[in-house]
Amino acid sequence: MWDIILNPFVTILAWLYAALNQDIVLAIVVLTVIIRILTFPLFAKQQDSQKKMQQIQPQLKKLQEKYKGDKEKLSQAQMKLYRENKVNPVGGCFPMLIQFPILIGLYQAIFFALAATPFQLVDLSERLLIPGLDSLIPLQRMWTPIPQLASLLPELDLTLAPTENPPYALALPLLVLVTTWGQQKLTMSATGQNRSKKDDDDDDGGGAGGQAAAMTKSMTTIMPIMFGFFSLSFSVGLSIYFVTSNLIGVVQYSPQGKRMLERVFGRKSTDEAPVEVVFEDDEPVKKTRKTRKKKPRRK
Amino acid sequence: MATRKHILLISLLMLGVFTLSACVGARMGVSWPAVGLIDLYGETHIALAYNNDVVILSPSNGAPARLTNPLNGEVMRDNENNPRTWILRGSDNDGSQFFSVPIRLDDETVLVADNNRRLLKVDSVVVDVQRSYPLADKVLTNVLLAGDTLYVPFQNGGLSAISLEDFQEKWTLPTGAGVWAQPLLVNDMLIVPSIDHFLYSVDHSTGQVRWSLDLGGAVASTPLLANGRLYVGSFDKSFFEISLDGEILNEYATQNWVWGSPAIDENGIIYLADLSGYVHALDSESGLRERWSAQVAERGIRAGPLVYGERVILASRDGKVYWLDKRDGQLINAREIDNRPELLGDMMLLQPSENLNINEPLLLVSSVDGARLLIAFGVDGRQAWVYPR
Repeated sequence: MWDIILNPFVTILAWLYAALNQDIVLAIVVLTVIIRILTFPLFAKQQDSQKKMQQIQPQLKKLQEKYKGDKEKLSQAQMKLYRENKVNPVGGCFPMLIQFPILIGLYQAIFFALAATPFQLVDLSERLLIPGLDSLIPLQRMWTPIPQLASLLPELDLTLAPTENPPYALALPLLVLVTTWGQQKLTMSATGQNRSKKDDDDDDGGGAGGQAAAMTKSMTTIMPIMFGFFSLSFSVGLSIYFVTSNLIGVVQYSPQGKRMLERVFGRKSTDEAPVEVVFEDDEPVKKTRKTRKKKPRRK
Repeated sequence: MATRKHILLISLLMLGVFTLSACVGARMGVSWPAVGLIDLYGETHIALAYNNDVVILSPSNGAPARLTNPLNGEVMRDNENNPRTWILRGSDNDGSQFFSVPIRLDDETVLVADNNRRLLKVDSVVVDVQRSYPLADKVLTNVLLAGDTLYVPFQNGGLSAISLEDFQEKWTLPTGAGVWAQPLLVNDMLIVPSIDHFLYSVDHSTGQVRWSLDLGGAVASTPLLANGRLYVGSFDKSFFEISLDGEILNEYATQNWVWGSPAIDENGIIYLADLSGYVHALDSESGLRERWSAQVAERGIRAGPLVYGERVILASRDGKVYWLDKRDGQLINAREIDNRPELLGDMMLLQPSENLNINEPLLLVSSVDGARLLIAFGVDGRQAWVYPR
């Protein structure tokens, strides 16, 4: 079942390897770029959903205060607020769930395509979907970042961990750590989750948005460390994928990059102010929509 | 409190994702078991090398051979009075991994090349490593002993000729990628297949390359020598007939990569299998003309076929062993191994002999399932014994 996702990735990677002068690193970079661009609408949707959740935070907080002690009423009011604002509290998860298999498939493809042992190679024989790629096997898995400085920077074996490669390969996990952190930071600012300490102190953490913000903050700390750690033990090829993917994320979440991608995909991010739902005597009686558009922030 | 919960949750999520995804590679082994024969204690035994162990087995029942005292012939016993058996454990030797069967040097010494860049000299009486010699690279196929020279193929490329006198390197053959099959000695010519797409012919005493032939795809099997010609397949979905001068005489297109060595019968018919599960019968005396070709297995066939009497025997990745009628490829019998483990290692046919202590032919099939690492069948398909790790 998983092969439906994996085998096309392996095939495309092998095809790109052939098309790009048998440079496997370039093939990994190009495939990562293609996948990140194709999955941009999903990323954008997830981002919009997180942004909307942030925007209705003050109203959610008010509701929590108002219906303190009446969970049923609170739940009804929250649902109403979500409905009026067209927010699905778990809406951000769905695009993420779709992206996961794609991203996992991509880095597994790197592992399978670079088959370094008989077991991996025999497995590869069932994964190439386009005829004519067989003559490329095995793909060249040795790579030097600057061929002119090969004596200074000897070849890396992309199938081995940085610890089993020349010492300078240890820079890769560090690069993974830094770029993951950079991407996380930009993601937070793009979704409006860069909250001040005061905001955090005010938030009791009980609200859905508060939890989401706390989670994102935790992720900013944990994910770079985790990815850096994974990069230490997994193959160098995977580190190249992580770094490329993170750098694309940085571009994607930067204001300029975001605007450019939105132009390419012809979509607009949600800049509308949230619908204010007014509740009176535990019942909503009036709702108003502010159609004012936010001015784009200029640096 | 909430933050701590989030950290834990995210950590678990990330760990889960990576365990499910990246560890796909970890569950894969390096290679499959290597099986061979070795003479020890005046009898011929089965040698099996896979991952952490090298074990010597009795052909009659598949039990590990017991160590006997050469002075009085008594079985040696450990501290708990259990009989000691011939098992060389990688865990006792700096985590060695083995995919190459041991080679007997004399009554008391065997050599084993490991996947950790070492050649181990082992006292075969007490199964103890006496000395280890560093190798240029990892070894994942059988080494070849010819005269006083050991030819050691390497996983990441190249082959070394090592003198048995002083264990010094005589010469090396550089290749563009790994040598994953045992080389073949033809007179004074060493034929070396490499996954760099080339078949090399080198002078066995000097290492000088006489010819090298690009076969369009990786060459991962030992060629078959028959009628003064070489027969070998490549990953370019092709099978070749090659003269000893390095000229391609004939070529046959297969359905997928050819990894296993072919087999030939007394009529000059060559049998080969490919990784699409196809078996092909070709006439070697009429330019590789196809006699028959049929898809036999659901998955690929890595190991080369065996010919016994009127049968062609095959083992597939689908966990089955197949017996075909060699005249037309009709299926005669199929045996499914419990749990259907991938059958990737080369098969071996043992003929009855006093030295082997068996009175009927035995077919040895290795799997990657630790519970049934080596399975012996009678030629009719009846299971004789199983060796679990």
